[in-house]
Amino acid sequence: MADGAGRGERGMRRVKGWLIDWVLVTLFLLMVDFLWLAFSGRRGPTGLLLSPEEILDLLHYLPLLAVSAALAGLWQAAAGILGESPGWALTRPLDEAPSPVLWTSTLRGWFVALLIELTVFTGWLVTEVQLVTFLTQFNKAADIVRGLVNPSSAVLHQGLILLVQTIFLAFMATAFAIPVAFVLSFFAARNLTRGSALARSLYNLVRAAMNFTRAVEPLVWALIFISWVGIGPFAGVLALWVHSVAALVKLYSEQIESIDHGPVEAIMATGASTLQVMRYGVVPQVIPPFLSFTIYRWDINVRMSTIIGFVGGGGIGYILKPRVDLGLWGEVGTLVLLIAATVWCMDILSAKIRERIV
Amino acid sequence: MNGAAAARDEVVRIEGLGKVFPNGVRALDAVDLSVRRGEFLVVIGLSGSGKSTLLRCINRLIDPSEGRIWLFGEEMTALQGAELRAMRTRVGMIFQQFNLVKRHSVLANVLSGALGRASLLPSLLLRFPEADRQVALAALERVGLGGRDASRADALSGGQQQRVAIARALLQEPELILADEPVASLDPALRHSVMRHIEALNREEGMTVICTLHDVDLIRRYATRLVALRDGKVVHEGDPEKFDGETFKAIYGEEAEPTPGLVG
Repeated sequence: MADGAGRGERGMRRVKGWLIDWVLVTLFLLMVDFLWLAFSGRRGPTGLLLSPEEILDLLHYLPLLAVSAALAGLWQAAAGILGESPGWALTRPLDEAPSPVLWTSTLRGWFVALLIELTVFTGWLVTEVQLVTFLTQFNKAADIVRGLVNPSSAVLHQGLILLVQTIFLAFMATAFAIPVAFVLSFFAARNLTRGSALARSLYNLVRAAMNFTRAVEPLVWALIFISWVGIGPFAGVLALWVHSVAALVKLYSEQIESIDHGPVEAIMATGASTLQVMRYGVVPQVIPPFLSFTIYRWDINVRMSTIIGFVGGGGIGYILKPRVDLGLWGEVGTLVLLIAATVWCMDILSAKIRERIV
Repeated sequence: MNGAAAARDEVVRIEGLGKVFPNGVRALDAVDLSVRRGEFLVVIGLSGSGKSTLLRCINRLIDPSEGRIWLFGEEMTALQGAELRAMRTRVGMIFQQFNLVKRHSVLANVLSGALGRASLLPSLLLRFPEADRQVALAALERVGLGGRDASRADALSGGQQQRVAIARALLQEPELILADEPVASLDPALRHSVMRHIEALNREEGMTVICTLHDVDLIRRYATRLVALRDGKVVHEGDPEKFDGETFKAIYGEEAEPTPGLVG
């Protein structure tokens, strides 16, 4: 069966395999280059040893890209002698069994093992790991830890009041998100938007808008809403609301996409209108998972609302930030414990309720 | 019988019906079919022969690719929107998997058969006129489920759920019933209990029935006429009494053997 399609697939596999090998060999050579520069004793213009950033700037990117492209090609061409390349192995069809050999007996095995080790060494230098400093200078942070384990009662009263605000903030953000997400999720479900070109384009529009909204962090949304409505818990509510709508639309619409189509057909067959089909065929199937997701979202919102105050979005974070800046570690300790206790309670509560629903 | 009377008598008329799915699979190919009022037409054929697609084309749950369909003298394939929905209310449908709304009560499921004539807002709040409620309770009584109206639908057994589905179809007061493998998911011992209810609708209420079945015993017992599909084409049409080994091979292929229990 050496037909055209088979040859075409094999050709595609060659190209894909070679691309993967090219990337892997390039990474390998770049890291060798990096380590060679780091340990060569070369000094920069200031006379000091090169910093990791300076080395990253000096690497021979273009020549190495060319060399690795040739090496990857060579490996594919001489697979008979060198053994299968990693790219060839990764593009193997799923139904084709790999040859059962020990990794130490193949070039590919040694290449991948070395690649992993090179990555660890390079990463160690790039992130400037300092084990000795970590192990010997604990005393510099002792004040903070002492404060955390000796919470001061000075801020307890205010902390408790703002904790109530924090929980309400999370609740309102979730409550406002439910109706908006509920309606939008029907337009974001692929199985309900196949009917017309209009439905299709609404689907794409809602999906794109929600993906963008979700990609922007709640802290950034908080900054936007603080300019809009001013510093305070309402800005936090709006920030978490926007993010919750996007997250819930995703979860809700995935649930709608996985419903049993049978009841939808049965209700359609009675001559029911579109809204009636949604109400009878779709909604009863998605209510329990929707409830579960919503409680989970409230749980997440409580966590987020504790830090939304760092940028001025209200809640307990609003009094936590200045105390961190002033180094009032005892008061910070009180607030952190309050937050931890709340998050812990919400976590257990939401898990228990969701267990009962689904 | 003159032509006009014959046309009045004709519930379903199908001409050159074809369906090709977006994935390229051809489910129906040039199907011509005519069903007269009061018939109990059984459609047979292997899985994938197009039986379910044929039934779903009749009430336009699936839009055909080719050909035309007339229901009660009106061209079904030309209807859109409200007119299409109005026509669907005259056609009840029963499914292999019952397709009840599992989390609703039995009564709410039966009442959903009246959605086509219900006013929108109350129906979205699950409210129906008292008259419909009385009809629904009577329909439940009729299928032997009186007193179970407040149970949740998924609390019932398979046979009971299918009888709820029949009561739901009954609420539409349909002139035509489409039954897609109505007993295939049921215990063999319960099949007649469901089939007898469908037969009663046919005999007592004069509803026309188009039903897909697998079991030769049931075909012989209930069908007044038989149509067989193979690869989306009608390959046999005839009297269920004369359903024998020859026709069996014509329908299911030379490879298939009628087991003694099935055709004897």
